[in-house]
Amino acid sequence: MRQVLTILWDSYRLLAAKKLFWIVLFLTVLIAMMYASIGFTPQGISMLFGAYEINNDIIVEGSMFADYFYMMIFTNYLVPWWLGLFALVLALISVCPVFPDFLKTGSIDVAISKPISRQLLFLVKYLGSLLFVAVQVLVFCVIVFIAHGMRLGAWNFEIFWAVPLLTLVFSLIYSVAVLVAVLTKSTLFSLLVALLVWAVTLSVQWTESLMYKAAYVMPASGISIDVGRGNASKTNQELDANADIVGFYDIVRKAAIPFPKTRDLTYLLKKKVSVRGNDMTMMSAFLADEASASDVREAKATEDYDNRHSTAYIVGSSLGFEVFILGIACWVFVRKDF
Amino acid sequence: MSDVVIDIADARKRYRGGVEALRGVSLQVPKGGIFGLLGPNGAGKSTLVKILMSIVHPNHCAGTMLGAPIGHKPTLAQVGYLPEHARFPEYLRGGEVIRYVAGLSGISRAEACVKTEQLLEMVGMQDWGKQKMGTYSKGMKQRIGLAQALANDPEIVFLDEPTDGVDPKGRLEMRHVLMRMREEGRTVFINSHLLGELEMICDSVAIMDKGEIVQQGTIAQLTEKSRRYELITRGSMSEGLVQRLKEKGFQIRHEMGQDFMIVYESDPEPIQPILDALRGEGVTIVELRELRQSLEELFMESVGAGGVGGSRKGSTPPSLPRKEAIK
Repeated sequence: MRQVLTILWDSYRLLAAKKLFWIVLFLTVLIAMMYASIGFTPQGISMLFGAYEINNDIIVEGSMFADYFYMMIFTNYLVPWWLGLFALVLALISVCPVFPDFLKTGSIDVAISKPISRQLLFLVKYLGSLLFVAVQVLVFCVIVFIAHGMRLGAWNFEIFWAVPLLTLVFSLIYSVAVLVAVLTKSTLFSLLVALLVWAVTLSVQWTESLMYKAAYVMPASGISIDVGRGNASKTNQELDANADIVGFYDIVRKAAIPFPKTRDLTYLLKKKVSVRGNDMTMMSAFLADEASASDVREAKATEDYDNRHSTAYIVGSSLGFEVFILGIACWVFVRKDF
Repeated sequence: MSDVVIDIADARKRYRGGVEALRGVSLQVPKGGIFGLLGPNGAGKSTLVKILMSIVHPNHCAGTMLGAPIGHKPTLAQVGYLPEHARFPEYLRGGEVIRYVAGLSGISRAEACVKTEQLLEMVGMQDWGKQKMGTYSKGMKQRIGLAQALANDPEIVFLDEPTDGVDPKGRLEMRHVLMRMREEGRTVFINSHLLGELEMICDSVAIMDKGEIVQQGTIAQLTEKSRRYELITRGSMSEGLVQRLKEKGFQIRHEMGQDFMIVYESDPEPIQPILDALRGEGVTIVELRELRQSLEELFMESVGAGGVGGSRKGSTPPSLPRKEAIK
């Protein structure tokens, strides 16, 4: 245990020594504070702690829509785009040199000659590197949690689901960087390969997502697309799913199984966070009472889209990928002569 | 615990690409002394140490270290190591590096803190322990490297080129540290090219070349065969005495009004009749001194020319450089 704590302490010191860590943390706090500055009044929405006000009939203080709107900004925009993309790229750039530096002659010798197994050394060093993202997301979530409590009177601990989910997302990409680092000891190469794998992964997930929408959500919403003519039309009636598109979607879905679900994991937060008893995927629950039948149908279709993959599938297939990649990296690390 | 702390038999290592770094090395390191492993670049010294430290996997290596099989991880808790070209995290302070290594060895935080202060003082870095490694000179880093090797209070300390980058004053201090380690009963295993320094502090040495141990033993044992006595007299000896001594195989030269006589004997007993004969002729004996081959000469003899390993073992006493002979 003492050895594990020592490696984690070293990881913390490494993070604290990196300027990029503090820059990203500053930006994270800034964005979180911007979010916290949003409030609700009887007339609508206030921004920058009341400096600006936007009148709105629905999103007003005390309404369910205000609660939903506030949480939606967090789950649909801040988490996927800042924490799940830009901050993650910066984290990857910052953390990528950790293993190549650690593996350099003269550095690895000291650590590996101690009475600690190579497997444990490798895994704790890997986990220590994840602190970069875990700390950033935790700080962000604490501010968001306080903002929610202060603004809406709801102390929603489910917000903290973002910490393990986004750390897992980062760990999936970072595992690739670690494997390449163990094989090549090159920071640049490991960064490039990790970004490439991430890009491919995102492409596969986007394709799967778009194909699902084309196969199921659009017909349910009465939207039909004529690919030959290049136009689309919308009716108030639910349409039948196109068999060809459904068939193609099935192929894409199966092809996506072995890939890590970085995007799906980020949006999994919508399932984990709830507002007034309904999680953020339950669109129909947040419709106004006077919503039309087509609105309800579209909301249901969107709900189905958000829930098309089970949590077990998303987490399980991602962890399978990570275990596979890390297993190879660890195997190479254990067998390697330094 | 036996008197031998490292007992390796038939250590072999072939790297990918076919480079044969070790070709059946057998080595015994006695307990509680300073042991020097010498050899030219590429001889396999670092590979041997790295096998002992479980950094490199051998193709074959029988034997034990501190009574446990080679590669036994828990045994490394009793071993310290300063690698060649050691790199410590520049974001850590000197004292933190020692605590970090102590932590990796499983030493408690409280114990590590106490130990750190002691070690910083021992290597003369007590005033610099709170500065970051990135601000240190190479010599200062090496001192911290030496201190971290002792962080776990080891029984054996492996030092790979410990005086690399250290100034003469620092080297002297480091020698004192090494001797202090010996006094504390530790076994110090040094890889170094600085033969003069090793000669000053090593109790025993092994010379490696091309992946094999060429010579091994105490410095006294290894240089025994080259032991000789040099006798300097004032004034000339008689022709008859010179003739008689030359017939017995003694080398005699006459330079600058003095006779130099060199006698290859490991025992001073046969010298006595010569002294009697010289005194009998009234020759003034200016100096009688024992000479031995230096470690550098031994090293050069072992790896300098020709083949490897066993072929040199038991070779005849080396011919001495002229400069040495008339010294």
